[in-house]
Amino acid sequence: MSDNYSYRRRTLKKNLPRFFQYLILIFAALFIIVPIVMIIFGALKTRGEFITHPYTIPIPPNWENFAKVLSMPIFWSMLRNSLLVMLAATAGVVIISSMAAFVFSRMKFRGQSIVLNFLTLGLMFPITIAILPVYLVVRQIGLTNNLLGVVLVQMAFQLSICIIILRTSFESVPYELQEAAYIDGCSTFGFFWRILLPLSRPALAAIASLTMVTSWNDLLVPLVLIDKNSLWTLPLGTMQFQGEYGVNLALVAAFVTLSAVPAVIFYLLAERQLVSGLTAGALKG
Amino acid sequence: MREFRKIMVFTVLVTFMVSMLFIGTSCKQKAVAPQTTAAKPVTITWWHIQTADAEKALWQSLADEYMAAHPNVTIEITVLANENFKTKLTTVMQSNTPPDIFQSWGGGEMNEYAKAGLLKDITANLDSGGWRDTFSPGALGAYSFEGRNYGVPRDMGMVGFWYNKELFTKAGIDNPPTTWTELLKDVKMLKNAGITPIAVGEGDKWPGAFWWEYLATRIGGQAAFDAAYSRKGAFTDAPFVEAGNKIKELVALKPFQNGFLGATQNDDAASMGNGKSAMDLMGQWAPGTYNDSSADKKGLGDKLGWFPFPTVEGGAGNPTDALGGGNGFIVGKNAPPEAVDFLKYISSVDSQIAQAKINLSVPVVKGAEGGLTDPLLKIVQQGTAAAKYFQLYYDQAMPPAVGSVVNDSVQGLFAGTLTPEKAAQQIENSAAKEIK
Amino acid sequence: MKTTSVSEDVVALSRKAGSARRLQDKLTIVLFLLPAIVLFSIFLVYPIFQSVYYSLFSWKGFGPAVDFIGLDNFKHILTDRIFLKSVGNGLLIVVLSLTIQLPLSLVLALMVRRNLRGRAFFRMIFFIPYVLSEVITGIIWLILYNPDPAYGFINALLTRIPGFEPQAWLGDTRTVMLALFVVVTWKYFGFHMLLYLAGLQSIPPEIEEAALIDGVNERQMITYITIPLIRSTIRTSVYLSVLGSLQVFALVWIMTKGGPVNASEVMSTYMYRFTFERFEFGYGSAVAIVMLLISLIFSLVYQRLVRQKIT
Repeated sequence: MSDNYSYRRRTLKKNLPRFFQYLILIFAALFIIVPIVMIIFGALKTRGEFITHPYTIPIPPNWENFAKVLSMPIFWSMLRNSLLVMLAATAGVVIISSMAAFVFSRMKFRGQSIVLNFLTLGLMFPITIAILPVYLVVRQIGLTNNLLGVVLVQMAFQLSICIIILRTSFESVPYELQEAAYIDGCSTFGFFWRILLPLSRPALAAIASLTMVTSWNDLLVPLVLIDKNSLWTLPLGTMQFQGEYGVNLALVAAFVTLSAVPAVIFYLLAERQLVSGLTAGALKG
Repeated sequence: MREFRKIMVFTVLVTFMVSMLFIGTSCKQKAVAPQTTAAKPVTITWWHIQTADAEKALWQSLADEYMAAHPNVTIEITVLANENFKTKLTTVMQSNTPPDIFQSWGGGEMNEYAKAGLLKDITANLDSGGWRDTFSPGALGAYSFEGRNYGVPRDMGMVGFWYNKELFTKAGIDNPPTTWTELLKDVKMLKNAGITPIAVGEGDKWPGAFWWEYLATRIGGQAAFDAAYSRKGAFTDAPFVEAGNKIKELVALKPFQNGFLGATQNDDAASMGNGKSAMDLMGQWAPGTYNDSSADKKGLGDKLGWFPFPTVEGGAGNPTDALGGGNGFIVGKNAPPEAVDFLKYISSVDSQIAQAKINLSVPVVKGAEGGLTDPLLKIVQQGTAAAKYFQLYYDQAMPPAVGSVVNDSVQGLFAGTLTPEKAAQQIENSAAKEIK
Repeated sequence: MKTTSVSEDVVALSRKAGSARRLQDKLTIVLFLLPAIVLFSIFLVYPIFQSVYYSLFSWKGFGPAVDFIGLDNFKHILTDRIFLKSVGNGLLIVVLSLTIQLPLSLVLALMVRRNLRGRAFFRMIFFIPYVLSEVITGIIWLILYNPDPAYGFINALLTRIPGFEPQAWLGDTRTVMLALFVVVTWKYFGFHMLLYLAGLQSIPPEIEEAALIDGVNERQMITYITIPLIRSTIRTSVYLSVLGSLQVFALVWIMTKGGPVNASEVMSTYMYRFTFERFEFGYGSAVAIVMLLISLIFSLVYQRLVRQKIT
């Protein structure tokens, strides 16, 4: 085998699969993006255009639907509520699950695996099937019609997966580091606060992003816990909006598009963090 | 032990944060309550499902007027889309805290609430001052259970065929059908003309159930349903099986729009409103939905016609017997007296006329008929009033569990996965279990 | 604690500090777990116990539960044809996810991980559906699947092919599950791709480079080196995918409500129907418990299997 031949073989081998790779990637990307583009196109049409030509390119674009949605005070109040709930739930989940994950990854105690299994029950009992009893509990505490009730429930159901991800990530921090820290006079808490958490920043960002997405998109909990329109969150509003303007698909499309924008922005900001964060966690599960 | 303190402080802080959230809010709620002065402030919670702009605005304006006249009353309105309303109502009912006034279709579901003691008995209110006499008795009856009244109707109408006159003419049909045989013939003619004869949103299930229930009413009359419901007879009796056979006949002609099994009522309305299907068996709200779903928002206009459900040859039912139902408001058990007063206010003739004007309600209060401007809705209103026997939709007339089995089973008939006998048997099984 | 590499002195030193630390540690354990356990007990465990309790009654959901019927609800569930169908549909989604969705995610993750022009772009695109809510996803796909080619993009596209009749994808008992699975894949494959990407990133590049230099071709490298190295990621992804598939709810409820004629019924829509449409709260609770048990059994078996493989 001459060098030349082997080189040509290599480039061919490299380029032919690459061609197929792009083919597959482009196909997959189209599969993902066409539905989204469709909805954005729809939002840029008038009601009548949407019904007569639902899937053509909107020329000229009609911005009225967006203007109409943005001029609704309820849209802004829902946006605010969604943001509030999301930030509070995320902060809560990050704090509480990192505390728990710390214990599971760095300490030993009797019954540890039982407690850990207990805390992963959340993966097996999704909120969908627990909603009625959960509602009862929240009522007993007096937190219906209160965004806090939504926050606490969302937190509780998000803890399991976050603890699992964080625990594995914490475990990947070398034990030697802990030893060294202790020898240097660092306390348990000091190690947790000053060494472990900063080192696990990507994993924390990852669980934060997951919680954000889940909270942002949650429909059932706010639906059941909130009566007052002034406390509605966006997904609730979307359902409501579809019930209300279901026949005006163009307007629904505009609403849907606008309500998705914040989530997409978070994601774009967090994407890099997510990948590297999950690298540290989740994977050794 | 500085370290120990740090851990303590940190955890206590977190736990405190969580617990503060619990306590902090419950305190707030208590702090607002005691403010007793001259007229005791009262809050009325009101849940309705009118999400369309004009309708929502009408209810809001009535509430505003009432609050202006009664400064001590605050009315908190919650508007919910239909599906959301059902989910939410179930949860509050389950926790024993019904809203003060809320949407109801009367019948079986309301009876369940009444049985569980979740509703306020307003029989005495209706009897005093002649309030009762303002309503048409049939409509009011849907909101009573074992002789006690728990709410009032605002709307009642019969189901019938809405059809596109232009498409009928195009297929060479001069007059709408009056018998089942004629209907089947017309379906064939429409098909031959390349027109989709019937739109049905069978994904929602209840639109198809209308067919089966109407057929049973035409074939068996009042006697058949009364017998089955009182458990002297059964839903496996001949009329109910025969109704299934008729549906089988119809389905065999493939008269429905493409994808009807997964279609919703909105799809059905779009098909009618844009002139793609020729007829639709639907209630009094149909024209409004057609208008909304058409490209120009105008719907079919003059092209829209209405005819009653055809008779079935040899059937025991009276041709004027009607299947239908409507909407109303019922009163939750914790409602203050002001809530009943407010309910009276929104059921006044004036309010009913206003509702009729925007086609929100086919009125049930005497003297409000004039508010109807749509000639077809007038026909529906008159047909409803003239019906000797008014059959409430089965899913309202019977307990929710049975109603839901009716809808599911009829969907099976439409899909061809159930035989008429099997469908009737399923319904009978559920009725035997639930109706005692 | 590993002490082998530490000198004798240090060991002694740390022992001395040890007893104080042990007390501290105990406190840390208790206090750090407390918030999680409290939240969990209130909003998860207590509801589970309540569901277990109500599952023993024939109860409409309001008023006191008095009609105790023992395990009758469970007997009913396990013999109900429609429930069994819903389990079957759940398993179908599980199987399709494991055989199509996850491999697809893995292949795409392998493609976009490095040295590919535009990989950032593709990565961004692939993950967008995951951040869209189920409500939004459902609405979008309902429009796309509309049987009338004048409204539904998919039929509009396919009817360009001569002889193709427009299909009611969601309205046909034969196609509805497949149509739903397409949406499930659309929505969730990005999440699994992300997991794989993260796993792949933790592989030191030298290992693969060395293999390539040794004359291993790319396919061999991926099968024999790359994939074994991310085995733990795959395990996690399979675990989450199976649980997620068994619990899928919102998408199905929004798009088909389990119809037509129960063709797309899954366990959670079945439960929801009984609780919210038929007011059979006791029965619904029993379904919830059955779902919990199925997930629990799967978890236990899976963990055992996986652990055996490692050791």
